[in-house]
Amino acid sequence: MVMTTPTVGERAAAPTGDLRPQPKPPRRRGLTTRGRPLWMLLPGGVLMGLVIVVPLLLGVFIALLDLDQYTLRAWLTAPFIGVQNFVEALTDSPLLSSIGISASFALIVTAVTLPIGVTAAIATQNAFRGRAVIRSIFLIPYVLPAFVVATVWRTILQPSGIANNVLSGFGIDGGLWLNGPKSYWALVFVAIWSSWPFIYLLALSGLQSVDTEVHEAAAIDGALWWAKLRYVIFPYLKGPISLAIIISILHAINNFTLPFVLFGVPTPSNVQVMPVLTYIASFQSFRFGLSAAMAIVSLVIVAIPLFVYLRAVRLDSGDEKVLTETEAAE
Amino acid sequence: MKARTIAATVAAMAALALALQGCSSSGSSGDGSVSGAGKTLNILTGVDTLYPAEQKQWQQNQAARFKKDTGATLKYDTYASANEELTKIQTSVVSGQGPDVYSIGTTFTPTAYSTGAFVKLSDDDWKKVGGRDRFVQASLGISGPSKGDEIGVPFASRPFVMAYNTKLLKAAGIEKPATTWDEFAEQAKALTKGDTYGIAAGYADGFDVWKFVWAMANQAGNPIVDGKTATIDSPAMRDAYKAYFGWVTSDRVVDPASVGWNNAQALAAFASGKAAYFPMTTATSKNTLDKSAVKGDYAYALMPTVPPGATERPADGRDAASILSGDNLVVANYSSNQDLAFAYIKQVTEQKEQEDFYTTFGQLPTNQAAATALETDDSTLAPLIAAAGKSVATPFSGAWGDVQLAITNITVQSIPALKSGSISDDAIEKQLQTAQKAAESSLKRTK
Repeated sequence: MVMTTPTVGERAAAPTGDLRPQPKPPRRRGLTTRGRPLWMLLPGGVLMGLVIVVPLLLGVFIALLDLDQYTLRAWLTAPFIGVQNFVEALTDSPLLSSIGISASFALIVTAVTLPIGVTAAIATQNAFRGRAVIRSIFLIPYVLPAFVVATVWRTILQPSGIANNVLSGFGIDGGLWLNGPKSYWALVFVAIWSSWPFIYLLALSGLQSVDTEVHEAAAIDGALWWAKLRYVIFPYLKGPISLAIIISILHAINNFTLPFVLFGVPTPSNVQVMPVLTYIASFQSFRFGLSAAMAIVSLVIVAIPLFVYLRAVRLDSGDEKVLTETEAAE
Repeated sequence: MKARTIAATVAAMAALALALQGCSSSGSSGDGSVSGAGKTLNILTGVDTLYPAEQKQWQQNQAARFKKDTGATLKYDTYASANEELTKIQTSVVSGQGPDVYSIGTTFTPTAYSTGAFVKLSDDDWKKVGGRDRFVQASLGISGPSKGDEIGVPFASRPFVMAYNTKLLKAAGIEKPATTWDEFAEQAKALTKGDTYGIAAGYADGFDVWKFVWAMANQAGNPIVDGKTATIDSPAMRDAYKAYFGWVTSDRVVDPASVGWNNAQALAAFASGKAAYFPMTTATSKNTLDKSAVKGDYAYALMPTVPPGATERPADGRDAASILSGDNLVVANYSSNQDLAFAYIKQVTEQKEQEDFYTTFGQLPTNQAAATALETDDSTLAPLIAAAGKSVATPFSGAWGDVQLAITNITVQSIPALKSGSISDDAIEKQLQTAQKAAESSLKRTK
């Protein structure tokens, strides 16, 4: 076979081009980029379209309609009212306060679960007798369904429940946990209780990717435990923990079951988080258009800081990966 | 890429939840005509958590009889919560397919009506279900906005009454249960001693708290909703809330823990003998009480029908002993088995079936003959039958769901103040204004 420089047309016509490292970097790079088998993305892409893009567009469309119980039956012909639902969501509904509650709740939960999860992962990293049992126990809160967690805590936090009985043993009047100002902290506490093992899991996976040689090298260099942790182990955890932070925040912001089961509907105003508010608008008041608008406003507000964060930690691109590969090649 | 996918997934979640509701169906409606051979009739009904085994047996019996009479198969599907009920109804309304017959709560009937997805019964349809006259006339009060526009056929009646501890009342020298709310609070004070309280009430109950103020306001002549106007910010409502909250804050006749109770917990307190009165309960509590510490020491009575602050009901006040409570059967517009559906309704509202239903589940008949027979047979049921007769329907408006939510919300948001032991008039007034605004906004949208 005679090697010739492919023309643009030829490159396009050969989607599955040769991917092996070639001696002429600039041209080969072009070939590699253009000749990727993008068609392989098709099944996933179609699925994404059906499961994500279509419903999202439908949600945007519904947000522009006056869709409620009166128009639900023939929903495609519901009156088109433009941005009125958005105006109502922003000016005449508790949406903004709910977004505030949800965002602060998510940040607090993540900030607290992060050190707990990482510490637990580090504590169970080295083998010791009973480690498997401890690791399994750590996962219990995470494997319990949110509904069960919320039901159990709802019982514990009753005015005359176990929590207040225990507190009164120390001379503390627990008061009201499922309504009023303390309900917010009850929600934060229960969410922390049930979600910290997620950070623990990701941190553990990060720790296990640390090569044995690295530990040995640190030992040979005489690094003490803190220096080793700070300069050797933590850099390895940066990737998994960044991901854990994002997912944990998103989980918390989207958490519906926990507040819904814990506090019921109508929800005390201190814990009327975004998903519950959207739920009430949809399924109690039947304002489907309004609730779709609320969901979209919430999405945009949450997506902005998220996008900034993703750019900052470069989780949205392959840059980090490429860098590592380049470094490895060098 | 992964993170971007996650972000996109979040983006879609809310929309998914909203938009995909309509993409599934809870069952096929079959392809039938009048003769039922080979056809299947799908019924959606609430699950009976008190008597699950009996419910299954009852459904099997009905199916067997229906098969024998019409040749068609009956298939029951159940919902476990009001939310599931709503979701299934919404799904069916949007997709135009699903169960043929729905068993829905009376207070939900106006909302169901407003969707336009259920059959309005013509004279002919009423004949097919055994005639409009077969039913206790009061129970038809929430079947539709007017006589010609009814969608709901009354199937079960659960009027609200109060249970009282005969032993405790006797010990306190009280001869008969209170008939005015003021007398009720006074008696409760006399009955509160040590860890025994005058009243067992669940202030954190999601279903029942609004019924107290609704009844008191109606007795004072305020229907809360009149056409497209809400009257929540009225003196009658303010007095109702003050009386209801007063049991905790000023009268101190309920267990302080009851600010966190639901109705089942209040029932448990009454069943343990730690409370003299248990208002807002139905005949379904009989089963629990007959197995409890108060067995033989309790009775039912009508709840007071004279509003707080009065010794007799004002001229425009209504004799509202209870909301019109129970279940209605509605037939879906899209159903191709409507005649079979009517045949089913006819079957389950017959005198004998209604009597059996009462015996098994403690829910009162809507069939007039069965109700009369029951009243004659069992005198202890007299208060319940009387309450059924004095039940007043909640306003037949598509906005009622929102109004109910708004007045329930007043109690929910007032719980911290109740727990602290006092609630100011200003705080109540402020909550009333908020609820009034929410109700008005919803009423404005009614079509």
